[in-house]
Amino acid sequence: MKREIKRHWQLYLMCLPTIIYLIMFCYIPYGGLWMAFTDYNVVDGIFGSKFVGLQNIRYFFTGSTGMGLKVIANTLIINFWGLILGTILPITIAICFKDINNRFFKKIAQSVMFFPYFLSWVVVGAIIYAFFSTSTGIINQWLAGVGAETVRWYAEPKYWKPIIIIADVWKWCGYNSIIYMAALANFDSSLYEAAQVDGANRFEQIFYITLPLLKPTVIILTLMSIGRIFFGDFGMIYGIVGNNALLYDEVAVIDTYVYSAMRTLGFSYTTAIGLFQSIMGLILITISNHFAKKINEGEGLF
Amino acid sequence: MAKEKTRIKMSATDKAVTVFSYIFIGFIAIVCLLPLIMVVSVSVSNNTSVVQKGYSILPRDFTLDTYIYLFAHSGMRILRSYAVTIFVTIAGTALAMVITSMCSFALSIKSLKYRNVIAYFCNFTIIFSAGLIPWYYVCVNWYGFSNNFRALIIPQILNVFNMFLLRTYFEQVPVSLYESARMDGASYFKIWSSIAVPLTKTGMMTVGMMYALAFWNDWWNALMFVNDRDYFPLQYYLYNILSNVNAISSGRVPAGAAANIALPTETVKMAVTIVTIGPIIFLYPFVQKYFVNGIMTGAVKE
Repeated sequence: MKREIKRHWQLYLMCLPTIIYLIMFCYIPYGGLWMAFTDYNVVDGIFGSKFVGLQNIRYFFTGSTGMGLKVIANTLIINFWGLILGTILPITIAICFKDINNRFFKKIAQSVMFFPYFLSWVVVGAIIYAFFSTSTGIINQWLAGVGAETVRWYAEPKYWKPIIIIADVWKWCGYNSIIYMAALANFDSSLYEAAQVDGANRFEQIFYITLPLLKPTVIILTLMSIGRIFFGDFGMIYGIVGNNALLYDEVAVIDTYVYSAMRTLGFSYTTAIGLFQSIMGLILITISNHFAKKINEGEGLF
Repeated sequence: MAKEKTRIKMSATDKAVTVFSYIFIGFIAIVCLLPLIMVVSVSVSNNTSVVQKGYSILPRDFTLDTYIYLFAHSGMRILRSYAVTIFVTIAGTALAMVITSMCSFALSIKSLKYRNVIAYFCNFTIIFSAGLIPWYYVCVNWYGFSNNFRALIIPQILNVFNMFLLRTYFEQVPVSLYESARMDGASYFKIWSSIAVPLTKTGMMTVGMMYALAFWNDWWNALMFVNDRDYFPLQYYLYNILSNVNAISSGRVPAGAAANIALPTETVKMAVTIVTIGPIIFLYPFVQKYFVNGIMTGAVKE
């Protein structure tokens, strides 16, 4: 140990800022998890407040408002559809891209599709406003144009889960398709040549070569997403819906609920929710990693 | 003869696949581009026309009045927010790159005995987090994150994912280069700065741009820690404008209260959006290529 430190002290020193940072912002906060089991108040501090056991977490599931189960459901639904559509669409894009030979078209299309990745959720929120604004939005103009009744979108909660899921897929489709394109680029081109010699058409090549070869990548990326399925995208929800109270219940995810409840329902209750989320994440990541190792010849997700 | 026939049939399928590819990619590209064109168009439209006829793909009565009005009326606010965002982006990215690349470099060296321990120490923070509240508690109470630059910068100066991504690039540098430099008496700091970093340009650029983008697009830290307008980054400035609009268009805010909040006109909203993404639009053509290459070479583990 001493010799190792002496030999590589410079390298350990280079890791030190990272280690200190993680201790300050990740490891010290672990201590704060104790709040989840107490009735925290400022005067008594984290470790002096009254111990209440699992009361906080119980309230999350059985509380009279029913918000707990509602935000869990919202989080899972939004993430589930985001995962499904956010896998199918980029794969389709990547496969179609392979078939396009016109380099100019390819370049322009890729630049354009990748651009939404660079936008913040607030900007995406502004774009969505441009579409769904009641008086001036494009959608209502179209509806009026075909003689249909216009909708007060920002007062109708039921439409917002689909809107948010579509926005999510829209923002990420370019980025994710690049990952699949990278996977496709690594495939052995002789497989396709052999298939052509055997008389397989493009369609058959996609089904019998491309998709099976993509399977491991898809599975790994899916497992990674499943590990985070209990974590909502705070920025996405707040950037698009903002503090619109009418839509809030319909699209609130666990993360936004924690934020909005931390001042009204207290630190203990919201810490307990965060703990629940982290434990679910830990369990799912461990399971996903187990499967990833099986598929990926011993190499896990992390 | 029969063979000839099947060949024609096959090429028809192939053609159909190709045609479909062009149409599909073209469609997705338009879906990605159109919303942005609309935002630009509205920002250079005449506000009265927009209010009367609604948003449109092409500008209505082209005018730059909105931008002139914007900078004449709230120019100082916007410029201040611009300055905040630019400072945070530059300082933050520089700091983040130093910390991240030092640690990635150290962890890429296989002879470092405890590198797996350190890697696990980093990874654990991804697998299990303490959640928002304990983190928020230490940031506010212990580290003094409130209405200052550190609140906007420090939460983002380390991203463990980026650190591991950068490590894959450092691992591709041949070890013999380091060894011969060691023979010549170079310190690891010297090797890091004059061999490793210059040789991993793609990786450094990719990760650097990811950090820069995260800083530029951040408004979450401002939402958490800032209520002094002098420290509003651009994105948060835009968020505030839009979320007021959202709240009012839900119809929940009583008419009297709504009258007191000065509603920005339709064109102003879109102009602020453009101002927010302006530098990204200008830099995009230059950085896009590096980004795509970086993701393609680094993101896929297989």
